[in-house]
Amino acid sequence: MKPWVAAILYAVLSAITFVVCFPLLWAISTSLKPKDEIFRWPPTLWPENITFEAYHELLFGSSVASAPGAGVAPSAYFLTWFGNSIIVSVGSTIISITVATLAAYSLTRFRFWGQRAVPYIAILGYMVPSVIFVFPMFLTMVSLDLTDTLFSLILGYVCITLPFCLWLMWAFFRGVPIEIEEAALVDGASRLQVFRQIVLPVALPGIIAASIFSLIVSWNDYLFGRVFMNTMENLPLTVGVMHFFDGTHVDWALMMASSVLMTLPMAILFGFMQRHLVAGFGAGAVKG
Amino acid sequence: MTDVVVQGLSKSFGSNQVLKAMDLRVPSRQFVTLLGPSGCGKTTLLRMIAGLEKATAGEIRFGDRRVDTLPPGERNIAMVFQSYALYPTMDVARNIGYGLEVRGTPKAEKQEKVGAVAKVLEILHLLTRKPKQLSGGQRQRVALGRAMVRRPDIFLMDEPLSNLDAKLRATMRGELRRFHLDLGTTTIYVTHDQLEAMTMSDLVVVMNEGVVQQIGTPEEVYGKPANLFVAGFIGTPPMNLIPAQFRDGVLTVAGTPLPIALPPGAPADLVLGVRPQDVTIVEPGSPGSIPGKVWIVELIGSERLIEVELAPKLRVTAEVRATHRAAIDDAVAIRPDPAHLHVFDPATGQAINA
Repeated sequence: MKPWVAAILYAVLSAITFVVCFPLLWAISTSLKPKDEIFRWPPTLWPENITFEAYHELLFGSSVASAPGAGVAPSAYFLTWFGNSIIVSVGSTIISITVATLAAYSLTRFRFWGQRAVPYIAILGYMVPSVIFVFPMFLTMVSLDLTDTLFSLILGYVCITLPFCLWLMWAFFRGVPIEIEEAALVDGASRLQVFRQIVLPVALPGIIAASIFSLIVSWNDYLFGRVFMNTMENLPLTVGVMHFFDGTHVDWALMMASSVLMTLPMAILFGFMQRHLVAGFGAGAVKG
Repeated sequence: MTDVVVQGLSKSFGSNQVLKAMDLRVPSRQFVTLLGPSGCGKTTLLRMIAGLEKATAGEIRFGDRRVDTLPPGERNIAMVFQSYALYPTMDVARNIGYGLEVRGTPKAEKQEKVGAVAKVLEILHLLTRKPKQLSGGQRQRVALGRAMVRRPDIFLMDEPLSNLDAKLRATMRGELRRFHLDLGTTTIYVTHDQLEAMTMSDLVVVMNEGVVQQIGTPEEVYGKPANLFVAGFIGTPPMNLIPAQFRDGVLTVAGTPLPIALPPGAPADLVLGVRPQDVTIVEPGSPGSIPGKVWIVELIGSERLIEVELAPKLRVTAEVRATHRAAIDDAVAIRPDPAHLHVFDPATGQAINA
């Protein structure tokens, strides 16, 4: 590549990267600013005086005493919400991946009626906007007496993540040669041993890719949390942090610190799993 | 040691019948090749012997033991797949030892056996590598090692050399044959490559459309083809199959009588088979020759193929020394070797023995 082409390319890529990263950088910057600096005009790109007050309040409780009769400050629930989000994301991901992996395996390895249609019907289900089925699902949860429970959210997230996970795993298993399973059967392994010792290790990149997808979708969901949950103790993070907006003013420092803390687990996960993610989605792209 | 007996074995996939009531006996310690074109049912038969496909009807026995109801792992067989089918996440040592591992063989014993097999196959230095770090030939050896390490009753091999380049294939042919002679394990080998079948086998089973066409030694299937299919399938270049007439006890081709005796009841219209190696090019008018003209000449290394047109759309190929010169449209004659003529009934396709 000629130097001037490379220079232009890098300039364009740097600009795009900056635009993409700016909201996160701005959130980090705002979360570290003292309250008086947040609204200063012209705004400062980087805080003149760095403070971790917002993080301290979220993680260790309010540094400012609540007014008598004002009740518990929303920030006091932050760690509960964080825990809720972890429970529902991890819970729904475990269920989605388990069901998707077993279903996709049977769809690619056993012959039965309707076998070819299932993945396509599933992906069609994924294409329906969740806002269309969130209310029927809410009514179902009401009739099952599950509203305002973390389990209802887990079920809701399974409904939106399972179809794509199934599709991804199906595409992945189609690329796994059946001969290696047959070789293991001839070697004397049982079906379960074949699945556990041969198939699962081979399918690991696909499982990781599907897991990350499921985690991100359920971690970032707002709609289901907003509709299904109502008590402060049971909210997921995405819905909970909206309480930093009390109708008249927004506590931007808390909001931004929450955003940064919310982003952190997914960013760390991405960092560790990036390699598998590319391999997993790559297999899906080629074989699907 | 175990012989393999297949009785009345049929297999259908929906309305497609792949194997048709097949009977076959593979004698103990023999290297038997299932040879046939794509879709003839040879791989299906092998997979049924392995237990990877269920029979629609019939039975399979290993010695006195009926095995067609047993899962593959309980048949004490080993199989080498066309794609090698190595476990991609395991290193070479675990690939070879996996069969011992699932059978609960003690670790020390397993290591010892894997080491011994790896030494024979000269892959000791590869034991810690993953399959993707190996060349095609090395993968082939690992697949063989995996098959050998358990000392199975029967080796099943499904076109194991077809993914190798020509040179390596030639080397591996010799090595496979050598391993078989050393181990003496009953081996069933599937291929569509007649060179592999002819060079490696004790017995060749020629198959077509789910039916055994002929079982015999390589010499027998080459020298005495049982029917038109075997005659046309075995041999490179293929046998010339020419229409011939049998009238008043005399066999004629393109109007020229040939000195071959046939039983009195032979049909009037026949097919005469003669291999290109058994056809000589002679001067027109030579006794016992059939006149024609050169249609095409092809050099294939030390030999030259000369295709001679005897009549419109009736051509015969002769394989001669490369030093033999011939030009297109030259008037020549061919003389088939009377000792190596094959005669077939076109109605049944079966050979008629003189």
